[in-house]
Amino acid sequence: MPKHETPMLDQLESGPWPSFVSDIKQEAESRAKNERNIEYQIPQDVCEDILGVLELSYKHKRTHWKHGGIVGVFGYGGGVIGRYCDQPEMFPGVAHFHTLRVNQPGGKFYTTEYLRQLCDLWEFRGSGITNMHGSTGDIVFLGTTTPQLEEIFYEMTHKLNQDLGGSGSNLRTPSDCVGEARCEFACYDTQALCYDLTMTYQDELHRPAFPYKFKFKFDGCPNCCVASIARADMSFIGTWRDDIRIDQEAVQAYIGGELAPNAGAHKGRDWGKFDIQKEVIDLCPTQCMWMEGKELKIDNKECNRCMHCINVMPRALRIGNDRGLSILVGAKAPILDGAQMGSMLVPFIKAEAPYDEIKEIIEKIWDWWMEEGKNRERLGELMKRQGFQKLLEVTELKPDPRMVQEPRSNPYIFWKEEEVEGGWDRDINEFRKYHQR
Amino acid sequence: MDYEEAKEKIISTLSKKKGKTKFYFNDLAKILEAKPRDAKKIVNRLVQEEVLEFWSSGSTSMYGLKGAGKQAAAEEGD
Amino acid sequence: MAFISSGYNPDKPLEDRITDIGPRKYDEFYPPVIAKNKGKWLYHEILEPGVYVHVSETGDEVYTVRVGGARLMSVTHIREICDIADQYCDGYVRFTTRNNIEFMVDKKEKVKPLVDDLMSRKFPAGSYKFPVGGTGAGITNIVHTQGWIHCHTPATDASGPVKATMDVLFDDFRDMRLPAHLRVSLACCLNMCGAVHCSDIAILGYHRKPPMLDHEYLDKMCEIPLAIAACPTAAIKPAKVELPDGKKVNSVAVNNDRCMFCGNCYTMCPSMPLADDVGDGIVIMAGGKVSNRLSAPKFSKVVVAFIPNEPPRWPQTTATIKKIVEVYAKDAKKYERLGEWAERIGWERFFEKCELEFTHHLIDDFRDPAYFTWRQTTQFKF
Repeated sequence: MPKHETPMLDQLESGPWPSFVSDIKQEAESRAKNERNIEYQIPQDVCEDILGVLELSYKHKRTHWKHGGIVGVFGYGGGVIGRYCDQPEMFPGVAHFHTLRVNQPGGKFYTTEYLRQLCDLWEFRGSGITNMHGSTGDIVFLGTTTPQLEEIFYEMTHKLNQDLGGSGSNLRTPSDCVGEARCEFACYDTQALCYDLTMTYQDELHRPAFPYKFKFKFDGCPNCCVASIARADMSFIGTWRDDIRIDQEAVQAYIGGELAPNAGAHKGRDWGKFDIQKEVIDLCPTQCMWMEGKELKIDNKECNRCMHCINVMPRALRIGNDRGLSILVGAKAPILDGAQMGSMLVPFIKAEAPYDEIKEIIEKIWDWWMEEGKNRERLGELMKRQGFQKLLEVTELKPDPRMVQEPRSNPYIFWKEEEVEGGWDRDINEFRKYHQR
Repeated sequence: MDYEEAKEKIISTLSKKKGKTKFYFNDLAKILEAKPRDAKKIVNRLVQEEVLEFWSSGSTSMYGLKGAGKQAAAEEGD
Repeated sequence: MAFISSGYNPDKPLEDRITDIGPRKYDEFYPPVIAKNKGKWLYHEILEPGVYVHVSETGDEVYTVRVGGARLMSVTHIREICDIADQYCDGYVRFTTRNNIEFMVDKKEKVKPLVDDLMSRKFPAGSYKFPVGGTGAGITNIVHTQGWIHCHTPATDASGPVKATMDVLFDDFRDMRLPAHLRVSLACCLNMCGAVHCSDIAILGYHRKPPMLDHEYLDKMCEIPLAIAACPTAAIKPAKVELPDGKKVNSVAVNNDRCMFCGNCYTMCPSMPLADDVGDGIVIMAGGKVSNRLSAPKFSKVVVAFIPNEPPRWPQTTATIKKIVEVYAKDAKKYERLGEWAERIGWERFFEKCELEFTHHLIDDFRDPAYFTWRQTTQFKF
């Protein structure tokens, strides 16, 4: 007999997709049996109570969680989210049910040895329920009591050489795509830059002194697999500025049908014979490609590196060799002024350790935002409020048409006095010599 | 401003605010009349010495005198 | 249940304290074939749904088998992942940004036994533990937020609607028949701690009732200035309120017409709950993307203003999504993302083809960007 009847959740056990209900039930069972003789530090039946309180939410169509703001580990302003159940008598196992964010490794590569260590720790001192991974990228430990927070942090730092991630008005845990580790499109080492900046800015990550959250995300190419352009205050997107490398033999192999276009991504339907004119050349947004006899030609100067041709023919076309990244700033999800996409600030910069030039830009932006940002104002909102020109001023970057979609369509330029010859102080009497009152 | 003076200023200013015990970092920087980066050094030390504590909404962080406030009582009480 | 100390001394929190050490370094966890070939990859190919190969200039190959995961995962489940990785992958595994799990092997002949094993593992009630798929022009895992399992301001559940939706879209997780890949995301309230605003299809929880005011307790439980400051639209002001027993208390008043139902006040003040069984439900958005391929990244647009919460399987929500996917699959050109297709045929045609009602709620009236979404041309379709 389960501790709570869960008729509605039970309906989520059928169907092909992995059932989180079945999984929580298996964890509940594992804790009840306790074959490893673990001295559980939070209630043994915590998973039954998770299911119980969730079933109640399915019945009421309302959440049964309350927020708690004080819990955390000593000296850190982030990494722990306080959570309490609003029916603690019914579900004592989850009465206190705080979350820890654990800074994930770059590329989300793991050894099983390390994953098992995390599992052992979290089974012993928490609910055994996780998110692999949270939206920002962290490993999320879901549900433990207040006294366990310091214990977990102590074991994590002393035994696992592992730190917490960010929450609140901090630098949030930076995250990256798989990058050069397993992707031929990567234009820089996303994991190296992500790790370097994470380590350089540990203080910003743990001790909140920003007006609001701040996110870094690292995409190796303009395909943007980690969606940095949509959700990072600073997105680092790989790019190149020389020529796409072409293997003409492979181009012919695609045309001849020996190679599957789009790396086989369209295999589920018969789209007919591959047509390079229709599927690549005509779709090119800058129309910078053409066939000359059996040769594919690209006017690289006109290419905007949208990746389409490379995605379609990865064995024939490769990213250039002069690589680096673009920095876009100010993306965020909704509230307050609605969603914002990142805006181009640095069209091209080399991404080579120790990344001093990149750090200089980051710190100039932070100095500006920390001084001028209102409470709970994201960088993108400050940019809107004070203007892109102000951003250029604080970052000491030169204006470049690559930064904008188009020039302004109104002439209401706020000229500064020093920009106008002779300044603004004029002699009215001199003027009157030639103009009657 | 030296640290002890800053500490005094923070404690006295925050304890005087009626009906409000949680403050944004910028509020503290203003009280200290310091640039954010300098203010942060002082604030971090005040947290280490358990004069100040963090409060987090999950998305936003605030600071308050340790133990002050209605939610502090509620969270430690249950 | 005896308390077991980790060694931490609560009286001296700074003793032996280790801080600011960051995450484990990525290269500790690279499988040998990755460590050896990093930065040397030449090309990749998807061999079948969920399975692809990357080939290096050294001649090495790595075969990746991608499986879906409910991002809500128990340690028992993770240990099973570890067992599989130990058996087939020399003890290495990785996760993707979209909560998939990737098992990597260095030889082609190791792929089939791994795939067969993964597909054979099911929970007792029948769902796959590790379904192989999620690659190419299909539908991969849904990224999502916490919902009713853990959050205090959700307007819907997350894991439940995701499970129900993925059950309905499962064939497209296992296949690659769509014109382009299609990304589905879920956020359980408009704060979008999981950003969904640039997804092909977004499922968004939304409250429609302003907070209730627990006047009797409000001043005891909350700091009124914080509740007021929390409101993004400045809809909250202080108020003196007379309770039924005649007692006057300090509280707040909410200008309900200005409320955008974000729940930020509830985060600061537990005496202002806004969750409601009838008020809360789901908004469907469509046509967003983050890739720069062909066209620029786009925001998702609201295509259904409200669908009630229908636990446990949200049938109206999943039916709406399924309908959009099917029409897109049939109508779009090869390589066209959902948003690119909608823009080519025109949104008026999108609503017609998807048999969705166009209501006044779908016309933007929120601040400046609204104007840019109205039609400033005579070009439209009948």
